[in-house]
Amino acid sequence: MSARHWATRLHLPTLGVAAVIVAGWVLLSWRYGAYVLPSPLAVARGFAEIVASGEIWRHTVASLGRILVGFGGAVVVALLTGLAAFLSRTARGVIHDFLSVLNSTSVFVWIVISIIWFGLSNWAPIFTTFMITLPVVASNIVEGVANVDRRLLEMGDVYRLSGRQKFTAIVVPSTLPYLVVGMKVGFGLALKVSVVAEIFGVTSGIGYVMNYSREILATQMVFVWALVMILVMTATDRLVFDAVSRRLDRWR
Amino acid sequence: MAVTLEVAEVGKDFLIPVIDSVSFGVEAGEFVCLLGPNGCGKTTLLRIVGGLEPPTRGRVLLGGEPVSGSGRHTKKVGVVFQEDRLLPWMTLRENVELVLEPLGLGAEARRQAADRHLRLAGLAGFEAYHPARVSGGMRQRAAIARALAIEPDLLLMDEPFGALDAQNRRIMQQEVRRIWRETGRTILFVTHAIDEAVAIGTTLIMLSARPARIREMVRNDGHLERGKLIDDLNTMIMEEVERQQGVVGPA
Repeated sequence: MSARHWATRLHLPTLGVAAVIVAGWVLLSWRYGAYVLPSPLAVARGFAEIVASGEIWRHTVASLGRILVGFGGAVVVALLTGLAAFLSRTARGVIHDFLSVLNSTSVFVWIVISIIWFGLSNWAPIFTTFMITLPVVASNIVEGVANVDRRLLEMGDVYRLSGRQKFTAIVVPSTLPYLVVGMKVGFGLALKVSVVAEIFGVTSGIGYVMNYSREILATQMVFVWALVMILVMTATDRLVFDAVSRRLDRWR
Repeated sequence: MAVTLEVAEVGKDFLIPVIDSVSFGVEAGEFVCLLGPNGCGKTTLLRIVGGLEPPTRGRVLLGGEPVSGSGRHTKKVGVVFQEDRLLPWMTLRENVELVLEPLGLGAEARRQAADRHLRLAGLAGFEAYHPARVSGGMRQRAAIARALAIEPDLLLMDEPFGALDAQNRRIMQQEVRRIWRETGRTILFVTHAIDEAVAIGTTLIMLSARPARIREMVRNDGHLERGKLIDDLNTMIMEEVERQQGVVGPA
């Protein structure tokens, strides 16, 4: 193993740039004070605090729970739209049109509407997450269904496979990679969106605690929770989605 | 098992007429090669016979039963396409087993039939490989094994060796000829390579330039001298190619 190889594996160039940024950060926090920009040390200390007190788990679990319901619901509905798109060409057109409308609707629209409909409750961030992630996951699945190799379906017709056999043997396996990509993008979006929605009306979750930290002028905690978000996102990407993708690619 | 095939005044229009009118009969167990210039409608004719495409005119009878567009006759038809059309996420064995499912065979019977036909196609030992892990020639052989595994009454092959190099092509021609001798299936084989047709077919049908008609039908049973037959067919195909390119109008 060459030195260069190890340098790349350990992301040494990235770490180098990060060191420069941290140095700049320290200088700026001296210049402007802890309220505007807390020092890296204060952030590290804050992180250790919430890990020690277990607060990190309370809020992360609360956020993930809402994401699981909202995003999970979106995946289920997206799968149903995918099935409809497979069964009927007309349905595919209708779904396509509705998804493009949903796709161009702002997060804020759903936040405001969900507060009106569900009040200050868990259901507001859940509904917002659902509405924002549904078009992302569904359009991926529908695209996957539309891109199923027609020549393979024709092969299925030649050998008289039933509709169900064609669905399980041909449509599902060729759509799975699209589903995984849709879920990966959708989950990232879910985390970002639900955190924004948590600013309003709930008393737990990463979004809530970030906004609360700002109100009590504990700026370092805002940074700490941002760090928690990044960690959650990276962990699910690496541990869940990358692993699933690798498994799907086994036959390539 | 093998059945007779009757193609009666079949024609097909796709905006322009592609097949004018083609009629021929195939006895059970014959190996028919369909020849003709590129783009003359050979593949279309094969697809009509296989029930993948409805004819504009005329009809196709398979063992006396009409083959319609939706094709729900009781005969079994195996098709080997120009591409292998294997499911990449399934092993070679699973690919063959899949097409045996609609025949109502049990899991054990499917596995045995799949392995037997893969062996027949020279793929013993590769049953558990995914298509991406074997060569193009082996994939095409797996597609042939799949078509044979359903024990088809009629086997349709559409330039199945087009993507292979000369060496593999020769090997595969001999293999198909051997499989045909051993199984006695009725085969309709589309190709534009005259030497290939003369090497493996018992009956050769030369189609004309578009819109296709039958230009010549030859029995290739060894009575004709091979070299002369190849020369004659080459002359014919050159004439048809020229006609198709618009040098001469349709005859």
